[in-house]
Amino acid sequence: MLAIEGLNKTYQSGVHALRDICLEVPAGMFGLLGPNGAGKTTLMKILATLLEPDSGAVRMCDTDLISEKHRARMMLGYLPQDFGFYPSLTAEQTLHYFARLKGVHKRKERNSLVNALLERVNLESARRQKVGGFSGGMRQRLGIAQALIGKPALLIVDEPTAGLDPEERARFHNLLAETFAEESVVLLSTHIVSDVSNLCSNMAIIRQGKIIASCAPSHALKELTDSVWEATLTREQIDAVKSGCKLLSSQMYNGMMRVRVVSPRERPGEEFTQVTPTIEDYYFNLVSHS
Amino acid sequence: MVNPFHTSFFAVFRTEVLLNLRRVAPYVMALLCGGNALLWWGWGPAKGRGLATNSEAFIAGVLPIYAFMTLPLFTAVIMADPVIRDFRAEIGPLIFSKPVGRAIYLLGKFFGSFFVLACGQAAFVVTLFVLQWFSRPGVTTLQEVKVVPYFKHFLVFVIISHLVLAAFYFAVGTLSRNAKIVYALGVCFYPLIISYNIFFLNGLPLSWRRILDPLLMRWAQKDGDVHTLSAEAFNQLVVTYDSELIINRAVMLLIAAGILTMVYRRFIIAEPPQKIHFSFINLSTASERISFEPEINWIEPDHEVRRTPLPIVNVAAPGIRGSLRKLVAALAIEFRLLLSERSLVVIIPLAVVLSTMEVIFWRVRGDGSYSAAYVSHIAQNLVLFMIGISIFYVGEALQRDRDLNIEPLVWSQPIPNFVLLFSKFLATLLVVFALLISVGLIAMVTQALKGNGPFELTAYLRVYIWILIPNAIFLSAAAMFLKVLLRDRYLTYIAAIGIGGGLFYLYSQGHNGWLYNPLLFRLWKYEDLLSGNNLSQIAQHRAYVLVIALVLVALAHLFYERRSTLWVRS
Repeated sequence: MLAIEGLNKTYQSGVHALRDICLEVPAGMFGLLGPNGAGKTTLMKILATLLEPDSGAVRMCDTDLISEKHRARMMLGYLPQDFGFYPSLTAEQTLHYFARLKGVHKRKERNSLVNALLERVNLESARRQKVGGFSGGMRQRLGIAQALIGKPALLIVDEPTAGLDPEERARFHNLLAETFAEESVVLLSTHIVSDVSNLCSNMAIIRQGKIIASCAPSHALKELTDSVWEATLTREQIDAVKSGCKLLSSQMYNGMMRVRVVSPRERPGEEFTQVTPTIEDYYFNLVSHS
Repeated sequence: MVNPFHTSFFAVFRTEVLLNLRRVAPYVMALLCGGNALLWWGWGPAKGRGLATNSEAFIAGVLPIYAFMTLPLFTAVIMADPVIRDFRAEIGPLIFSKPVGRAIYLLGKFFGSFFVLACGQAAFVVTLFVLQWFSRPGVTTLQEVKVVPYFKHFLVFVIISHLVLAAFYFAVGTLSRNAKIVYALGVCFYPLIISYNIFFLNGLPLSWRRILDPLLMRWAQKDGDVHTLSAEAFNQLVVTYDSELIINRAVMLLIAAGILTMVYRRFIIAEPPQKIHFSFINLSTASERISFEPEINWIEPDHEVRRTPLPIVNVAAPGIRGSLRKLVAALAIEFRLLLSERSLVVIIPLAVVLSTMEVIFWRVRGDGSYSAAYVSHIAQNLVLFMIGISIFYVGEALQRDRDLNIEPLVWSQPIPNFVLLFSKFLATLLVVFALLISVGLIAMVTQALKGNGPFELTAYLRVYIWILIPNAIFLSAAAMFLKVLLRDRYLTYIAAIGIGGGLFYLYSQGHNGWLYNPLLFRLWKYEDLLSGNNLSQIAQHRAYVLVIALVLVALAHLFYERRSTLWVRS
């Protein structure tokens, strides 16, 4: 289990990125959901030993990730939000390099590991291609392959599907779901709600540097059962609805607005039909609360 | 009327100028050109002979030689990739989706880069121009301040010559989309131009020689040897352009225009087609075609992830042995990355050529031993290149991970900081050693070919062990320390140039003590390395320098941005 206690971080510019973050992350896939600028990447960087917090502690298997950086790095696999590779190296050379940095020195073992990783991320046919010519999806898959070297106990994946097309995203979801080991902690930071709902057994929502909720997605959905309604309205009707109940989301559709509202006790109007709540509804509900 | 500053041409031109201003090459060129002018002024052939350095004959005589020396390499470096850069950054399609014609685009690119090139080259005449107000013992300056001759002759003798060369390099780079071909042509410039002179021009009548000489090296031949003139007559000479020179320049301008027209006609916006692979003729019924398109490497759009089990591997426990093996791995990659630096293709051959030029083309006086004289010459000539290469490539190696955004991946690996730092330090050192070995080997071969025997390997080893290798270690360590401390590569270059320039100025003023002369510049002779008191002094100095290098490396390790242990919390 990963335990985060009272983590604070303020940048030199004065931006208070993390405010007293406390979180317990059990083994399995854990989603950290939040809008852009919420502090997700700052938290991920601290966990990945790349950034020093102002205060607080992070523990994993009796290791203090803040003070015992080398030990922390031994158990860490990290896929950052923005990253690059040496463009003149091939996929195979890149993985060999990271495997050697991780401490896999025996050539035979390394070869079999690199082969298995390339197969796992479906890059065997591109193994001798230079990484500089890879598409975004291929780079992301190579990124996850390097993060899996050495069977990390803590796998940190920061916004892995941002910028990927739907097909690559589906492929990446499957890849992540298949790769995590039962005993390891996979921390997936994202602003895409479907990433969390598709993959994670537990999640937390972060906003303006604070954790505003932490629960299982099923529990979150249970909270909104029989409370979410949908209707297609004109702009004028929306103002009337807003005064009666809480608007979750609105979307233009054929010149009308398709709106979702939360109303726990009664139907907001005749135009409304009850719908199954989603994590997105839970997220919007929470964000508007906070 | 259309405002010329609001045209598409000016937009492309301006952007190209701005892009070039973010490169190192124009500044290095301007610095070298300014230094070159300073040498011509204070230490050149005019010194002590009463020839005025601001006389028209001196200016017009110096410029063709200046246009010939080292400038063609910079022309190749700057003109090679204006178009390649856009295609590499995949910005080409964005530009061509706007109403910008091919001609406007190509001319904007060409003249934008050429403008920067010309500005860098102009550092020479600007420095000479400014030096009119300075005096130095032995240097004569006419009272009357000259303005027009500097810029007029620069335009005629340098700019037009390099316009042809620039058009040629630009054409090769744009049409081949391969900058390395241009760099190779830049390196081959001297053998090609010398061969052109010897095998073609020398067989022609004098007037044709003058018309077809692109760099105007033979322009003064017709008027006899100006060096036989008295200083007074030389200083009063007025330089006029005769018809042959005017024809020469007109021909050069026409050639440049012709080359640019050819580029316009052959330039295509799309990526060049893939190489066609020819099939083997065999008895198969499918071999009716003589060529086939290469197979497209499709990745199947299957969403299923294969359940390939990852093998269990042994991960080395933390310790010195494991860290050393990681250092070897990182060093191998760093060295490979350094070798793939495009600038190395130009800089190493240039350094080798200029360091060995003296022993190849001039007579070496071996008073005691020829080997000692040869190795002493190359050791002196190598100083500047060792400084430049160490500072530049250590800076590049330390900055590369940040530029490529690979830092978060590498820094989150379980590797000690010394692995990251030393791999870059040692890789640069290996490049410098490669330069030292190449230059040494060429000097040995030259000595053998010129029959300057006997050949003594120990003479070479002495100079290398006592002087060159400790200098290389010190320079790489100092460059690494500066880069780690200042964090910014350009700031490092500026600081290094400032410190180096200041020290060399001090040495030239006579303040040359071994305490603050880590390279032993002008403080050793070959005889000092043989034995006795002088050798023990040099040994002490080398130990002193290596200790400083060690301290600098330790400080770099201490100040390195990546933290391995808990750092002070605010």
